Amino acid sequence: MKHKIIIIIAVLFCSMSNYCQAQSINWAGLKEEHRHLVNLQLGIDYGVIYGLGYSYHLKSKLPLLLNAEFSIPSGNKFFDDFKTKIGAHAKLFKMNNIAVSLNINGIFRRYENTLVSLSNFGGSGNIIIGYYSPKWYVNGEFGFDRAIVTHFEHKDVYKSNFPDVKDGWYETTGGNVQFGMQIGYSFDQSDIYLKGGKTIAQDFKTSPTIPIYIQLGYNLKLK
Amino acid sequence: MYRNKLLSSVLFLSIFVFSCENEMKIDEPGNLVPKTVDQDSSLPSIVINEAKLHAETFGNPNNPIIFILHGGPASDYRYLLNCKEFADNGYFVVFYDQRGTGLSQRFPRSYYTSIQTSFDDLSSVIAYYRKSPVQKIFLLGHSWGAMLAGAYINQYPNAVNGAVLAEPGGLKWKDIEDYVKRSRKMDITGEALNNALYMDQFLTGKEDEHAILDYKYKLLASTGDENENVGNEGLLPFWRPGFILQDVYFDIIKKENSDWTTHLDQFSTKILFIYSERNKTYGVVHAQKVSSPFPNVQLFETKGAGHDMLSFPTGWNNTFPVILNYFNTLK
Repeated sequence: MKHKIIIIIAVLFCSMSNYCQAQSINWAGLKEEHRHLVNLQLGIDYGVIYGLGYSYHLKSKLPLLLNAEFSIPSGNKFFDDFKTKIGAHAKLFKMNNIAVSLNINGIFRRYENTLVSLSNFGGSGNIIIGYYSPKWYVNGEFGFDRAIVTHFEHKDVYKSNFPDVKDGWYETTGGNVQFGMQIGYSFDQSDIYLKGGKTIAQDFKTSPTIPIYIQLGYNLKLK
Repeated sequence: MYRNKLLSSVLFLSIFVFSCENEMKIDEPGNLVPKTVDQDSSLPSIVINEAKLHAETFGNPNNPIIFILHGGPASDYRYLLNCKEFADNGYFVVFYDQRGTGLSQRFPRSYYTSIQTSFDDLSSVIAYYRKSPVQKIFLLGHSWGAMLAGAYINQYPNAVNGAVLAEPGGLKWKDIEDYVKRSRKMDITGEALNNALYMDQFLTGKEDEHAILDYKYKLLASTGDENENVGNEGLLPFWRPGFILQDVYFDIIKKENSDWTTHLDQFSTKILFIYSERNKTYGVVHAQKVSSPFPNVQLFETKGAGHDMLSFPTGWNNTFPVILNYFNTLK
């Protein structure tokens, strides 16, 4: 019961906040008895990002973690911009030390500046192929993040310039592809990892203002 | 039982309402950015060089003409409409949104190969409005518009009778690059930079999806207006920025390592060169450096204003009399 309450609180907390890319897991270091993973991150991903995540390791035949993540970018205003993710990360295939995993997430994120507030529902999928040993791991990831539907609410200053602007829900407003590498070191109940790669728009031609992502992260595995 | 029915009803209603939501298209004209003159025939326009440009005039067409050149180059002339006041003082004032910007017609990226396009457009706009060869022609350019004015005079030293250049970034690529770096410097963990970067995951536009790119650029550019370094009072009035032109022109100017000062010594008429007190990234040193290739320069510092010195009351009230006096001496 106590565990259930902790999980519910953690999931609720995480779902109210936000984060970036695929969760980094050392599959070789993840033991059956590790039920909870708490994750902290710092990185560059559409800005300077701070993130917090939680994963619950299911007792299932297919190694599977349910995860919730929350991240915020730096800035003077807290919570005007944030991203939340809820999803699952499964190890699909394993041969010796090589494993292939898939991380799928539903996303809710928000952006606000002096002209507009955007609220977006999106989805992301990452496939990760790597070499895993109990002490360290290295892998490559390829992911896609799509802004599926976005609500635009313009501020008075925008409307004073363009009174006919149409607020409301807009269909697919964007998508970016990310590909890169992760390296991690595992010790005791912890993983520390570094990941980085390139971000490019879905047309594979245009790049965001920061065309790369970098993340330093820490996982704490609890029974 | 009742609870199950209630839950089912709520779920059904939610699905129904959500599925009935008529989602809009982000790149449809008039949704997030205004329609351009080729999409809305009610807007005032002229056709030059096979382009439909958004243009307006004020005053007597037989008076000396002041052509207002807006900045950016992505911006539009809306933020310079204070300059209408010259029409009440014996001038014919012409505003136009440069090709691909504001409410003027858009063109694909591949169209732009040189800033000669802007020279040709300006020559054609002058020819469109000029009634006779003796009618005097003046240019008033702000920021990029001042760069265009300087570059145009360098290209055609006998084409105009006077010019006001308000804080051009530079007339050589190196000066432009230095100024842009200084003026866009932001705190890596600050709100302004975050606002500029974070939207990239919400909005992406392909090369030909102009409305998305323009809208996104507006969100980006608004962080520049709010940048304390340049001393602006607030967000400048706008219609629509033209992202493609902005992006291509900076590439071209950088690639060509442009130098628009080589023939300025042939322009002996005095120019009025304006810089602002509150733009910490400009200052008298940069103003002297940029204006130095002109043989005859009147430098003027607008007190109490930033880079937007022609748009808000303090800057305008402090600058207008000086510009008017300058034009009157050449009239």
